[in-house]
Amino acid sequence: MAATTATTYEPTKEDFEFLAGRDITTDQNFASQSYWKGVAIHFLRDKRAMIGFGIVLVIIIFAIFGPIFSSYSYRDIVSYVDESGKEVVARGIAPQLGLGGDGPFADRMFLFGTDDLGRDLWTRTWQGARVSLIIAFVTIFIDMIIGMSYGLISGYFGGAVDNIMQRIVEVANSVPRLVIVSVLAIFMPKGMGLVIVALLLTEWIGMSKIARAEMLRIKEQEYVLASRTLGAHSMHIIFKQILPNTIGPIITQMMFSIPTAIFTEAFLSFVGVGIMLPQCSIGSLIESGFNNITTLPYQILPPIIVLALQMLGFNFIGDGFREALAPKLEDM
Amino acid sequence: MLGTNVMSLDTDLATDGDSFEVIADCIDGLMQMDADGAAIPALAESFDLSDDGKTYTFHLRDAKWNNGTAVTANDFVFAWRRICKNAGEYAYMMSDIGNIKGAAEIMEGADPTTLGVSATDDKTFVVELNVPVSFFPSLMYFPTFYPINEEFYTGLADGTYGTSADTFLSCGAFMLEDYIPGTANLSVKKNPDYWDADKIQLPGITYQVVGSSDSALTAFKNGSLDVVMISGNQVAAAKEDAELSKNLTVTGAGYMWYLTFSQTEKNAQGGMLANQNLRLAISNAIDRESLVDNYVMDGSLATYTAVPPQFAASSTTGEDFSADQQKFADFCSFDTAKAQKFYEDAKKELGVDGFEFTMIYGNNEGDEVTKVAQAIKEQVEAALSGMVINLQAMTKAERLDKMQNDNYDVALTRWGPDYADPMTYLGMWITDNDNNYGFWSNAEYDKLIADCVTGAYISDYDARWQAMYDAETLVMQEAVIAPLYTKANANLIAAGVEGIDFHPVALNRVYKTATVA
Amino acid sequence: MAKYILKRIGLAVATLLLIIFVLFVLVRIMPGNPFPSERMSAEQIANKRAEMGLDDPILVQFGRYMVNLAHGDFGKGTSLYYGAPITTVLTTCIFNSFRIGGLAILMGTTVGLILGITAALNKGHFLDHFCTVFSILGVCVPGYVFLIFLQYFFSYKMSVFPYFFDASRFLYSSILPALSLSLFTMSTVARFTRNEMVEVMDSDYVHLAESKGMYGSKLVTRHILRNALIPIVTVLAPLVVDLLTGALVIEKIYGINGIGKLMVDAIAGEGVDYNYVLALGILYSALYIGIMLVVDLLYGVLDPRIRVSAKEGDA
Repeated sequence: MAATTATTYEPTKEDFEFLAGRDITTDQNFASQSYWKGVAIHFLRDKRAMIGFGIVLVIIIFAIFGPIFSSYSYRDIVSYVDESGKEVVARGIAPQLGLGGDGPFADRMFLFGTDDLGRDLWTRTWQGARVSLIIAFVTIFIDMIIGMSYGLISGYFGGAVDNIMQRIVEVANSVPRLVIVSVLAIFMPKGMGLVIVALLLTEWIGMSKIARAEMLRIKEQEYVLASRTLGAHSMHIIFKQILPNTIGPIITQMMFSIPTAIFTEAFLSFVGVGIMLPQCSIGSLIESGFNNITTLPYQILPPIIVLALQMLGFNFIGDGFREALAPKLEDM
Repeated sequence: MLGTNVMSLDTDLATDGDSFEVIADCIDGLMQMDADGAAIPALAESFDLSDDGKTYTFHLRDAKWNNGTAVTANDFVFAWRRICKNAGEYAYMMSDIGNIKGAAEIMEGADPTTLGVSATDDKTFVVELNVPVSFFPSLMYFPTFYPINEEFYTGLADGTYGTSADTFLSCGAFMLEDYIPGTANLSVKKNPDYWDADKIQLPGITYQVVGSSDSALTAFKNGSLDVVMISGNQVAAAKEDAELSKNLTVTGAGYMWYLTFSQTEKNAQGGMLANQNLRLAISNAIDRESLVDNYVMDGSLATYTAVPPQFAASSTTGEDFSADQQKFADFCSFDTAKAQKFYEDAKKELGVDGFEFTMIYGNNEGDEVTKVAQAIKEQVEAALSGMVINLQAMTKAERLDKMQNDNYDVALTRWGPDYADPMTYLGMWITDNDNNYGFWSNAEYDKLIADCVTGAYISDYDARWQAMYDAETLVMQEAVIAPLYTKANANLIAAGVEGIDFHPVALNRVYKTATVA
Repeated sequence: MAKYILKRIGLAVATLLLIIFVLFVLVRIMPGNPFPSERMSAEQIANKRAEMGLDDPILVQFGRYMVNLAHGDFGKGTSLYYGAPITTVLTTCIFNSFRIGGLAILMGTTVGLILGITAALNKGHFLDHFCTVFSILGVCVPGYVFLIFLQYFFSYKMSVFPYFFDASRFLYSSILPALSLSLFTMSTVARFTRNEMVEVMDSDYVHLAESKGMYGSKLVTRHILRNALIPIVTVLAPLVVDLLTGALVIEKIYGINGIGKLMVDAIAGEGVDYNYVLALGILYSALYIGIMLVVDLLYGVLDPRIRVSAKEGDA
C-alpha cells in the first residue's frame, strides 16, 4: 500500500519493511476497482486455477493438432498383405515407439497402441477428445443458461410458479432418455446435433435443482428482504444479488455434470444415436476399450486419462472461479 | 453359460437359441439329434411313412412327465394346435416348412381342430402333410414340435406356464430346478424319470448369463464357469495362451451374415442398387478372409455362397451343399480388379460418377458386427473410388423394421438355418417373401423354388438338390445378396468336461451325452 | 404441513398421469416393433397388433391401460420375456436393484461424508488434495470399469467374493456391485461436502461460534455440516433414484437381473416392449416424484427459515 504525504521528505518504498513474513507486496486495493476486475485479478493470481487452465489448454491443443500431425487418420486401418495374400491388420498392438524389433508392425509408432480394427489410438483419442470437449462446453452452457436460471427463478418466486416449474422438471426427467432420443431421431439426422439436443433436454435438471435449493436458502436472508423493500426488481435481485452467493455449489455441480454428459453421449449409442462410426468420442473409446479390459488393458487407459486430466483441469479452474467470485474465502 | 437371458420356456413363445436350448434340456421331441445332427428316435420309438410320403405315423415309447402322467399322443396334438392357433414366430415351421395339413389355414383363423394331426390312441400320433417333405423327421427335434401336457397346462392360471419350476413340466433329460423369468442364472437337474435316464451322466446344469466376452474369459479362467463362449480378441488371447488353447473348441453356429441391397426406386439414390454390376462391384470389393481373420476371429468361415456351408448335407451323397466355396468365384470373390471392372460398367450404365449409400447394422448384435461394418466401409471405399458408405447403427429391432418397410440402402443382416435343408435360405428370395429384403424378383427363380417345395421335384431328391443349386446360382449371379461369413462359436470347455454336442441347426448345445470328470 | 403434503401428493398423482400419457404416446412413435419378427408374415404381425389393441385410437388404448393398471395389471411382455406377466419379472428385479442400490447409497453417502469432512477440516493439506483427486477420478472412471478391477482382484486373484451375483447369498455377492455403483455418489458427496463445509466454515456465524469457544465435533455437526447439507441433499436425491433403478453395465457384468438392464432390454433389445417401458417408466417417475417431495420437506427441517410450502408473497 503506497502512502503519500505532502511534506518535505518523500518516503520511498525502501523506507518500509514488513513486520511479519507475510508476502503482501502484491496486495491491491480492492475497494478501488470494479468487482469483475477484482475477480479477474484474483483468478489470474490463483496458481491452481492457472495450472488447470494450462491442462485444459494443452488438451485443446492436442485435440486440434494431434490428429492433424499424426501419420494416420482416425479411420485408417493399418495393415499389410503377407506372402500368401492374406491381409494382416495391426489390431490390438500395445503402445510402442516403433523402434523396430520382431513383427510386421515393429517399426511403426503407436504411442497409445492400436484398437480392435488396427487404427492408431493416439489419433483416435485426440479425435475423441474433440467431441468430449464440445460436449463439455455445451454442458457448461446448458447448466449456466438453462439450469441455473430455471432453478433460481423457480426458487425465488416459489408458490404456484415453483410448483408448476418443478412439475415440468419431473415430467422432463421421468421420460426415459432413450425413448425421447429415439423419437427425436425420427425427425432429425443422427449425429452430434442430436446428441446436443438430447443433452439440452435433460442435462440442466441437476443444476436447476441446486440453484433452486440455494435460492430457497438465501432468499430468506436479510439483505434480500432489504433489497425488496428498497424496490429492487426481481431479476436484479436474482441475478445480481443472490447469484454471486450461490456460485459455490453451482460450480461444483457444473464440474460433475460434464463427465455425466460425456458418458450420456456414449449411452445414447444403445439406440444408435451418437457419434457415427468410424468417428469416435471419449465415451465410445472407453466403451470399446472396456470390451477388452482384461485382455488388452492399455486400450481403455488413454481415454480415461485424457478425461480425468480434462476434469482435473476444469475442476481447478472451477475452484479458482469460486474463490475469485467469493473472495472472503481467501486470505484477504 | 448363455449369451442372453432366457426369454421364455414356452415352445409357442420362445424365439432365441438360448431358450430353445433350455427347453430341449427339459422336454424331448419325437426325434432328437445325434452327435452329427442326424435325427434319431426320442419320444417316438419308430415311425412309418405312407407310400405317397404324406402321412407320418409316430409310435410313442413309454415316457413320463415329471408329475407322473404318461406322455401321450394327445400332448402333441394339443401343443401343435396351440402353436398354429397362436400363429407366433415359429408357427411357420408347421405351415410353410412342415406343410402340415390345415396349418396355414388355422394361422389365418380356421378352427384349430382341423389341423392334420391326430392321436389314434395314446401311443400313436399321426401327421398328415399337404406334400411330401423329405426332411420332415429332422424337423421333429425342433422345440416348436415338442409336446405340452394339456391337463397340466389348462390347470394353470393364464400366462403362468413356464414361468417357474412349478409351472413347467419336463419329460426330457433334465428338469427345471430354479428359474424365474428374467433371471440371470437358472439351473436344471437330472430328471430321474426320463425314459433314457441311465444314459444321462450330468447331475445338472447351471446356466449363467454372461455380459461380455471379456467377462466370460475371466470367469472361465477363474473356474466359475466350465463352458463359455468367447469372441474377438478373447479368442486371440486364448489361442496365444498355452493352457487356454487346449480348452478351445470351435463349433459351427450355423447362421450366415450377409449384405442385402434394396433394389427399389425409393432407396439408394433412386434405385441405383437395382443395377446388377454395382452390386457385384461391392460384393467383389470385400475381403471376406480379412473380415474373419482380423475382426471376427472366432473361427467363422468366409462365405461365398448364398447357402452357407456345414449345415445341409445331401442324404444320398452325404456331400455338403456348399462344400465348394469356389463355385461362384466369377460373381463372388475378393478381387479388386474385377470389382473395379463391374464398377466401371455400373457407372456407365447409370451415368453417374459417385455413389453415397447408407449401410445399416445392429449395434446390439455383437461387437464383431460393429467391427465388420467399419471394415466393409473401408474396404469398399478403398477399392471403388467415388463410393461412399455411411454407417448407421441402430437396434436390431429398428434394423428389421427398416428392412421390412424397405427403408434402407444396404443392410448387414443374418439368417440362421431353422432346419437342415438349403431351402431354409433359398426360400427367402422368392418374389414377395417377407424376408426378401431386396425386393428382387425373378420368375425363373420362383419357378425353381416352387418346384422344389410343392411341385415337380418333391419326390425326386437328386433333381431337387440340383434345382436348388440352379436357384442359388441365380442369386449369386445377380448378387441379390453379398454373403460375408458363416458364424462359428469359439467355446472354452474346462478339462474333464466332455461329450457336449454342438450343432449349427436348431439346438446349439445338447448335454445328453456330456460327462464331467 | 399435513395439508401441504396432501396437496403435493395430489399433484404428484396428476403429474404421474401426465408422464404415463406422454410415455404412452412416445413409445408408440418410437422406431422398432413390439413384435419383432423375421418369420411371421405381415398379416401375422398385424393380427398380433390388433390382439393387443394397438389399432384402436390412442385414447381408447390409454383408457384401457389405466383401467388395467388400476387392477395392478401391467400387461405382458411382447418382445421381452414373452408371455410372463410383467409383475412377476419386475418384482425380482426391483428386489435385487433396490437392495444393491440401497447398499450403494449407504456406502456412498457414509464414505463420501467422511471423506468430505476430513478434507474440509484439513483444507489445503494432503488429505484435502487426496479427496479432490479421488472425487475427480471417481466421476471419470465409470462404475463398471471399477467393478472389473474389483472383480479381477477380489474374485479372480483372491476369490474373496463370488464372480457372479447369487441371490441366495445376497449380501455377500452384493458388495462388489454396490461398491462400484457407489463410486460416483461417493465422489459427488465428498466433493460437495468438502466445498460446502469450507464455505460455511468461513462464514461469520461459525467464526462467532468458534470465538465463543465451540469446537470439535459439536461445531462440525451442529453448525457447519447442517448448513452444508442442503446442496448435498439436493444432489443426492436424483442419485438415490438412479442407484435404486440400477445400472445397465454393472448388472450385465455381474449377472444381476435388475431394473437397469431390464429398461435397456425393453427399449433397445430385440424389440420395443411397450408394456415394459411403461411399467419401468411409472416406477422411475413415482420414485423420482416421491423423493423430490421428501427433499422439499427436508429443506424445512435442515433450515427452518425455508418454507417450500409458502405461498408467493409470503417470503
